[in-house]
Amino acid sequence: MPSSNNPGQSRLEPQPGETIDRAAPVEFRFDGRPVRAFRGDTVASALYAGGTRVFSRSFKYHRPRGLLCCAGNCPNCLVTVDGEPNVRACVRPVEPGLRVRSQNAWPSLRLDLLSLLDRLHWLMPVGFYYKALHRPKALWLLARRLIRRVGGLGSIDINAAHHTEFSSRSLHADVAVVGGGPAGMAAALAAAETGAAVTLIDDQPSLGGHLRYTRLQAVNPRQAGNPKDELAAAVANAPNIHALNDATAFGLYQDNLLAVHTPGGLVRVRAKQVVLATGVQETPLLFDNNDLPGIMLTSAARRLASLYGIRPGREAVLAISGNPAATAEAYQTALELLDAGIRITAIVDASDGASGEAAQALRDRGVTILTGHRIARAVGRGRLKAAVAAPVGSTGYADGRRIRCDLLCMSGPLYPMDALLQQMGVSQPGVTLAGCATGVSGATGLDEATRQGRDAGLRAANPAPNPAPLPEPLPAPPAPMPAGKGGRAYVCFCEDVSAHDIAQAIDEGFADVQTLKRYTTVTMGPCQGKMCGRALSAICAARRPLSSAEWETKDRPEVSGGGDLFTTSRPPWRPVPLAVLAGRERMPLKRTPMDRIHRQLGATMVESGPWLRPHNYGSPADECAAVRQRVGIIDVGTLGKLEALGIGAPQLLDRIYTHRFSDLPAGRIRYGLMTSDNGVILDDGTVTRLAADRYFITTTSGNADVIEEWFNQWNAGGDNCAHIVNVTAAYGAVNVAGPKARETLAKLTAIDLSPDKFRYMRSARGEVAGVPSLLLRIGFVGETGWELHFPAEYGEYMWNAIMEAGREFGISPFGLEAQRILRLEKGHVIVGQDTDAVSTPLDVGSEWAVRFDKADFIGRGGLSIAAARPAQQRLVGFIMPPSTAGSRIVPEDGTPVVSGGRPIGRVTSARISPTLGRGFGLAWVPPHLAEEGASIQVLIDHRPVSATVTLQPVYDPQGLRLRS
Amino acid sequence: MSFLLKCPNCGERSVDEFRFGGEVVSRPAPGAAESDWSSYFYFRPNAAGVQQEWWNHRYGCGRWFYALRDTTANAVQTTFWPGQPPPSEQP
Ligand code: FES
Ligand SMILES: [Zn+2]
Repeated sequence: MPSSNNPGQSRLEPQPGETIDRAAPVEFRFDGRPVRAFRGDTVASALYAGGTRVFSRSFKYHRPRGLLCCAGNCPNCLVTVDGEPNVRACVRPVEPGLRVRSQNAWPSLRLDLLSLLDRLHWLMPVGFYYKALHRPKALWLLARRLIRRVGGLGSIDINAAHHTEFSSRSLHADVAVVGGGPAGMAAALAAAETGAAVTLIDDQPSLGGHLRYTRLQAVNPRQAGNPKDELAAAVANAPNIHALNDATAFGLYQDNLLAVHTPGGLVRVRAKQVVLATGVQETPLLFDNNDLPGIMLTSAARRLASLYGIRPGREAVLAISGNPAATAEAYQTALELLDAGIRITAIVDASDGASGEAAQALRDRGVTILTGHRIARAVGRGRLKAAVAAPVGSTGYADGRRIRCDLLCMSGPLYPMDALLQQMGVSQPGVTLAGCATGVSGATGLDEATRQGRDAGLRAANPAPNPAPLPEPLPAPPAPMPAGKGGRAYVCFCEDVSAHDIAQAIDEGFADVQTLKRYTTVTMGPCQGKMCGRALSAICAARRPLSSAEWETKDRPEVSGGGDLFTTSRPPWRPVPLAVLAGRERMPLKRTPMDRIHRQLGATMVESGPWLRPHNYGSPADECAAVRQRVGIIDVGTLGKLEALGIGAPQLLDRIYTHRFSDLPAGRIRYGLMTSDNGVILDDGTVTRLAADRYFITTTSGNADVIEEWFNQWNAGGDNCAHIVNVTAAYGAVNVAGPKARETLAKLTAIDLSPDKFRYMRSARGEVAGVPSLLLRIGFVGETGWELHFPAEYGEYMWNAIMEAGREFGISPFGLEAQRILRLEKGHVIVGQDTDAVSTPLDVGSEWAVRFDKADFIGRGGLSIAAARPAQQRLVGFIMPPSTAGSRIVPEDGTPVVSGGRPIGRVTSARISPTLGRGFGLAWVPPHLAEEGASIQVLIDHRPVSATVTLQPVYDPQGLRLRS
Repeated sequence: MSFLLKCPNCGERSVDEFRFGGEVVSRPAPGAAESDWSSYFYFRPNAAGVQQEWWNHRYGCGRWFYALRDTTANAVQTTFWPGQPPPSEQP
């Protein structure tokens, strides 16, 4: 076996356009062995240079597979790189230290025991699992286990460290050009010259398209340089062209949105106009053993030779069986390979006469051209040894001629890479096609391609109202059928489906391409039908009767609507890692104005909605004790803050809230509850009337935007003289609470805070520590306290001033966790935590906040209906029995409430009460259990434990401390 | 889903900037029959064709507006302010 330790074994002399840097060696590992490469190599080119010919084992029969397309299109070189499965080795650049492993082979790539399946392939006809395994049932269960073991490609290493983080971003362009070949570059340049903002998307590491690996000098020795260099330089110098390299546009969506997979993540390009210069692609020819390693697409051999300076083989045969464009390319390739020092044993051309300069030049150089012939089969085991050529029209191999070779280049028909166009199903306004995809042929049609590109670019930059008809995709000739039955003539390399399998499925009645596809799984592999889609259509067309109208439009699905000859093209056009699609959106995390202080204090931060806020500062229990016994301060800047303004504001609030606010005197505060129209609780908070036409509203943390939208939707249209302004970010806020809160704040303000002057649910505006503030006397945690709102800029200053003033009283900051415990002791509900999508105010015991005497409000309809019926559930408090030594009995949030082993409710919040020293919480229970002292059972560790219902807050039920 | 939507205030923007607010349905008058309320709460015509919808320019000007959208082609015919007639009916 050739060792892969030698980076030079298959290397040619330095080639003019090669991308490797022979002075920069790189080493990585493949299946544990070291592989030496050069910078600029791909994983596949480095392995090939070192002698590797088998790159993978096929999906079903575990046949050895070698390089086929070298362009990231086919499934043959899928490997696992650093734990990431199904990486296409032929487009993955080498990096020092990469750990590459082969896939789908056991115990090794060379000796894959599952290749026995290839011998047994008669046991597994197409659709065998539908036919063979469904009876008896036990057999299927067994088979399913087995199939799951051997099925699938690659395996995910859940322990692999994934360092890559993807993010997604959006770009806007006047003109987006897909494809960086000569036509694409010309289009981008022409559009840019008119001043348009252009985004050029190319999936290769550098611009040039097929010119990257074409040696024009092979045909025309007088050709100076490579025109791609000039174009690429012009693109680089154009300030309004934004070029994305290594970027695959995998989806085209409505209104010209391109989804692009780039190394950094997903890019969404919204363009006014799109030019598709995506070129053409080759597909395999159909003959038996067409998947032997050593058989590759013509363009793959060219890429190996030109880009990586690799000798793709020693003795080459070229098989040509396509349209004139493909034929010209193939002859050009033959000259290039000859120039690179590769012996060409024969050119097998299906056409009758090979004319033209290139053919003549080849004959002059002694190359045999076998016209009127095609390849009937390939010979070799695990590696190509020879090809058998037979006259076109002969069926079978009898009159075949055996030609020795270790490289067979397949030059089938060229198909336009028009998947993006097909995805839209109908012809998309604002999308133009240019270049090879329209049928102009590669190197020889270079001028025409460039001219078309310029045209398309100009049109795109200045769309005419009634544009002239555009070039259409190159009509594809039907793929030639294999000689013989084609039992090993693979149509679908991904799924191991042969021409014979397809013919058989058609004979079984699956004659429509859509059902044929689903039955045989052809086109459903990792390449998404790029290698097999057209051949499938051709075989389908050849084997079943076709109406003349179908033939007319069969190569133009945009006219025939796909007909029943083409499968549907859907994004993604190339496989995209899920991580790229799931890449995080750039959603900023909100931090309050006191964020830095929390960190300095060593707070444990927690994400709460869009906010990051302190969960605790070390000990929630100590924080609770500070609030109950001394004074505590909590950052509540996360509250949503809205102002309602205008003479219509009182009516707007009366409409949105279940309570009434038009009669609220200025300076007073009232609890506000809002529901959706069917009566389900949406949000709650406080409403403070600042003046006749001005209210200050708080919403639950993180809900400000939604509630603002809710107000605005009901306020839309008409002239209501009411406006909602979201001032959440404008104000910082703290809550100072506890028996010493009054004394603390009194040191900082001239406002009279004495109990009879500043009463519960009253507000005042004035300076605190010299900062203009709004003071609300409310008590979420159940102590004397004030919520202070002040300009956000003073956040840190305010916090420090209050901490300083409270020092002598033993002030302590408290976090979210302590606040949750304290409010739970007061039985205060948190919307979204204790309520869900069916909770009404009536269920949570807030009837007092619903004013049915208002003629109308949002929720009145639903609540009237609910009020007329018996309640189905109630939110109640519960207390756990005292815990025995060492056991703390607290159910988790969400635990079921059970009766006779069946769930009848659930715990929404539960904690240890510092006041009681026992577990307690809130739970939904059926109404008959919503009685003081009723006994309910909650599940703890799957065992029911009794708890006692209470309808009273466990702390200060009379609210004496709150009001003191 | 990806298309451009014209905010009457800001102009054409990608639909990602907007929040869909559902079909426009008329709200029963206070005191309407229970069945009217429930069909208003829970039933939507979900027309195969043109329907009137609420949209909010969430990541733009924040305003609510109406769109007439053909649900079969996902084509927005026109957008306009609540309280005003569609542009085609404006003088
Ligand atoms: S060859 Fe890839 S899906 Fe058929
Ligand atoms: Zn707007």
